[in-house]
Amino acid sequence: MNPVTRRPPRRRDLAMLWHQVRYEQLTFWRNPQSAFFTFVFPVVVIAIFGVMFHGGTPSPYFYGLSALGYYVATIAAVSVLGACYSQLAIVVASRRQNGILKRVRATPLPSWIYFLGLLAHCVMVGVVDVLLILGVGRLFGVPFPGVARWPAIAVTLVLGATAFCALGVAVASLIRNAEAAPAVVQFVLFPLVFLSGTYLPIHSGAVVTVAGALPVRPFNEALLGALTRSGGFAWHDLAVLAAWGAAGAVVAVRRFRWDPRPE
Amino acid sequence: MSGEPAVVVADLRKSYGPVRAVRGVGFRVARGEIFALLGPNGAGKSTTLEILEGFRARDAGRAEVLGLDPGDRGAARELRERIGLVLQDIAVEPYLTVRETVTRDAGYYRAPRDVDEVIGLVGLTGQERRKVRTLSGGQKRRLDLALGVVGDPELLFLDEPTTGFDPNARRGAWRLVRELRDTGTTVLLTTHSMQEAQALADRVAVLAGGRIVAEGTPDDLGGRDTAGARIRFALPPGCAAADLPVAAEVRGAQVTVRTAEPTGTLHRLTGWALQRGTALVGLTVERPTLEDVYLDLTGPDTAHDTPRGTPPDTAHETAEGGAR
Repeated sequence: MNPVTRRPPRRRDLAMLWHQVRYEQLTFWRNPQSAFFTFVFPVVVIAIFGVMFHGGTPSPYFYGLSALGYYVATIAAVSVLGACYSQLAIVVASRRQNGILKRVRATPLPSWIYFLGLLAHCVMVGVVDVLLILGVGRLFGVPFPGVARWPAIAVTLVLGATAFCALGVAVASLIRNAEAAPAVVQFVLFPLVFLSGTYLPIHSGAVVTVAGALPVRPFNEALLGALTRSGGFAWHDLAVLAAWGAAGAVVAVRRFRWDPRPE
Repeated sequence: MSGEPAVVVADLRKSYGPVRAVRGVGFRVARGEIFALLGPNGAGKSTTLEILEGFRARDAGRAEVLGLDPGDRGAARELRERIGLVLQDIAVEPYLTVRETVTRDAGYYRAPRDVDEVIGLVGLTGQERRKVRTLSGGQKRRLDLALGVVGDPELLFLDEPTTGFDPNARRGAWRLVRELRDTGTTVLLTTHSMQEAQALADRVAVLAGGRIVAEGTPDDLGGRDTAGARIRFALPPGCAAADLPVAAEVRGAQVTVRTAEPTGTLHRLTGWALQRGTALVGLTVERPTLEDVYLDLTGPDTAHDTPRGTPPDTAHETAEGGAR
């Protein structure tokens, strides 16, 4: 009705989103602890596997892949889990406890921009992580994926990262005490990662069925498929991931608190 | 526009379960004034403030901030553009620098203040490149204040802004708040320091037990300006209480005279003493201090008017956050 506006609001929101992502990045890279755990841990693990399995040949134990070919995919997946699920849950829980979330709430920054900023930041960190692991894998003889594979890799990464971000915020919403966050996060993740074949391929049908319905294995499988097999989209796995992401988002939206002190 | 008040509160109510933290609070804050909500811990100050800031939902009553309803989610962004908040807890990212922190928040506003100007305003010039985690507590608090004003707010909320400050830092903060008021910002603050209310506020409302028990300027609060003065001196040797020319309370050798007209009373007393060739040793004239009024208003007597069934002390403790 009123034709006079200061700036097209949508453009302003986009500028604000970019602004927010930049400061999330800055906050992340400045904190030595978060950078260390997110990057150093997966890179060290894949380097150790690289030394152990250098020059390995395809084997049925690794579903017809070389050991390192298998691990490049699963360790890349677990690094995304670290960057999105673990980091985000811990960061959000501690920001809430410190009152930083409430302080954000005190500004005109819309919450959707805040969360989209966090998500974009986590996806970027996840992508850097995956590239690092592919790089280390290449040093030990696992070829870099060809161009034809990148669409499936990109879709899998973004969908997986988004789903695990939603789950991270959901867990942060359920935790009351920030000191407990790292323990809770690991307690949930640790068994899941093992059941999902991240460190050892699983050949038990029952475990495969159960883990296949949980979020980690579908992500492993989708990434394995995109990196090594025909290079197609693992639609079934992606659908399971998306369902988990949606469930996480519902819990996050319903239970999220900005205030360190509940009403 | 400038004629309408910045804040209107009427019959505001908020309970936490059985605890009635705010029980019918009402006041108005005019544009361009510093208004203080004064009261002991647990009186309902912070709950009232948090309702006006949009952090808590009210149970009943009217609340209007710059003509907007703070409980209306649709108006939240517009309201946040026009108000500034400084909360009780220091909450700043430890790994960013001072300048980065202020620049980040400036980016959230439609028409922010200049970042360097704001850093200068809170006295952090020269510290721009320091990481927040290396700042002292007082400096972090000033950075918090910078975040409150960077959006160039029409109305600034300060929740116990100088708690934990040393006297110097406190005076600096007061100066800053007055400067903001002088440039047209309305300020609504909570405090449990009478000194702060007296030094800073144009008007004060005293809260106790979830109600406003007095409202006025720091000078006339609780009838302080018209309340009787107290004249005290030592009973001259050889005099009895009955010898005094005015009604007095004598305890031992200490005489206390309460009077609504200190000038006349004092004249009669000194005239009487001179006539008898004696002196009024230790002569003082006092008006009740704001502290006297405050203690009167919020003292244990007031707690009795809490309705039965709500133990006042424990109840208010839980009501206003176990953080302190």
